[in-house]
Amino acid sequence: MSETFECGDKGALVAYLYEECEPDVRAEIASHLTRCETCTSEIDGLGWTRKRLEAWTPNVPELGFQLPVPVMEQRLPWWRAPLPAWAQAAAALLIFGAGLSIGLTRGAVAPVTQPASTQVATAPASDGASRTDLAQLEQRLKAEMSQMRTAVAAPAPQRAVVDDDLMKKVEELVTQSEERQRREFTLRSVELARDIEAQRRIDLASVRETVGQFQGVTGTEIRQQREAIDRINNFIRVSQQGR
Amino acid sequence: MTRTDEELVARSRSGDVDSFNQLIVRWERPIYALAYRVLGREEDARDVCQDTFLRAYRALPGFKGQAKFSSWLYRIALNLCRDWIRRQQRAPVSQMPEDIDPAELLAATEPTESIEDLVARREMSALVADAMQSLTEEQRTAIILKEYHGMTFQEIADMQGCPLSTVKTRLYQGLSQLRRQLERRGHGIHELVRRT
Ligand SMILES: [Zn+2]
Repeated sequence: MSETFECGDKGALVAYLYEECEPDVRAEIASHLTRCETCTSEIDGLGWTRKRLEAWTPNVPELGFQLPVPVMEQRLPWWRAPLPAWAQAAAALLIFGAGLSIGLTRGAVAPVTQPASTQVATAPASDGASRTDLAQLEQRLKAEMSQMRTAVAAPAPQRAVVDDDLMKKVEELVTQSEERQRREFTLRSVELARDIEAQRRIDLASVRETVGQFQGVTGTEIRQQREAIDRINNFIRVSQQGR
Repeated sequence: MTRTDEELVARSRSGDVDSFNQLIVRWERPIYALAYRVLGREEDARDVCQDTFLRAYRALPGFKGQAKFSSWLYRIALNLCRDWIRRQQRAPVSQMPEDIDPAELLAATEPTESIEDLVARREMSALVADAMQSLTEEQRTAIILKEYHGMTFQEIADMQGCPLSTVKTRLYQGLSQLRRQLERRGHGIHELVRRT
C-alpha cells in the first residue's frame, strides 16, 4: 500500500470524518490515528462538534405553498401575457429615445436597428417595477422632452441648415413606432380579452386596472410623440424659411 | 402512484400545474430548512422558500434536466439566500428561542425524551444556531449542505461553484470554528439542564 496520507492533512481528515475517501486511504488514516495523538484529537474534536450540530433542528412551520393563479399567467408567452404598464412606458421611452437620438444627434443618421420589437419583447422579462420605477421613467421622459424643447427653441448656429433626409427619417421613425405601438396595443388587447375568457379564475378587477394603466400610459406616450413631431415639423418649416 | 421528480418536471414543463404543485409539496420542507439555517430567520426563510418555487416554475422551460431537479432547486434557493444576505448588508441574525413555556415543552417532548433532555436539546440548538453565525457564508453553507442535506463533497462543490479541495477546507475551518465557539460558550448539555 503506497502512502498517500500525510500527517495533519486537514482535507484528508475531513474526508475521513465524512467517510468520503477511498477505502485504502481510509485504512491508512485509521492506522495513522492509532499512532498519532494530534490527528486523533483533531478527529475527535471535529466529531464532537458534528454531534452538537445534530441538535440544531429548525421548527418547520406548516408551509403549504401552491402556485398561485397569477403565476400561471406569467408563464404565458410574452406576446400573450398582459403587459405591465411600466413595461409599456419603458418600451415607449426606448422608441421615443431612439427617435430623439436621431433627431438631436446630427451625423448619427445611420442605421436605425430594429428599435421597437426587440425592446418590447425584452421589457416584460424583468418583473416587479414599482411606482418609483414609473415615476422615474416619467421624469426621464419629461427631461428628454424639455431637452427637445430647448433644442427646437434655440437651435445652434451649425444646425441652422437642416438635412431634409435626416428630418424625413425622424418623421418616418416616429410614425413607424407610433404605428407599431398601436399594433402592439391592439394585439395585446385582443389576446388579453381571450385570456380573460379562458381563465375564469383571473382577478377581473385587477386586469381591468392594468389595462387602464396600460391605456393611460400608452395614450400619453403617443400624445407626446405627436407633440414632438409637430415641433420637428415646425422646426423644419422655420429652418426652410430661413434659407 | 408516486411519480419521480423527473416525471413531474416533464409534466410541469408541458403546463401541468398540479404536477409542479406536487414537486412543491415534496421539496418545500428541505428548501425551507436550508433557507432557515442559512438566513437564521423564519420569515425570511419562508419568503425565500416561496420565491424559490416561483422562480423555478418560471425558469422551468430553461431547465433541461442537466442536473437533478433538487440540486437545481437548491441552487436557486442558495442564490436567493445570497442575494438576501447582500441586500440586508448585515450578518444573518439567528432567532434565539424565547423563554420556554412548560406546557409547550410537554407537548413537544418525544415519548422517549425527558423534559430535561428536551430543554437541553433546545438550548443546544440555539447555541449551535448562534455559533453558526460566526462562520463565513461559504463555510456555513458548506456545513449546512453536508450535515443537514447529506450532500457529497462533489455536490457541494457544484452547488458552490468551487473546487473539491475548497469544500473540504470550508468544512474543516467551519467545524473548527464551531468547535471553538461551542467550547468558549462553555456549556455541556448537563450544565444547561442544571441551570434551568
Ligand atoms: Zn498525525
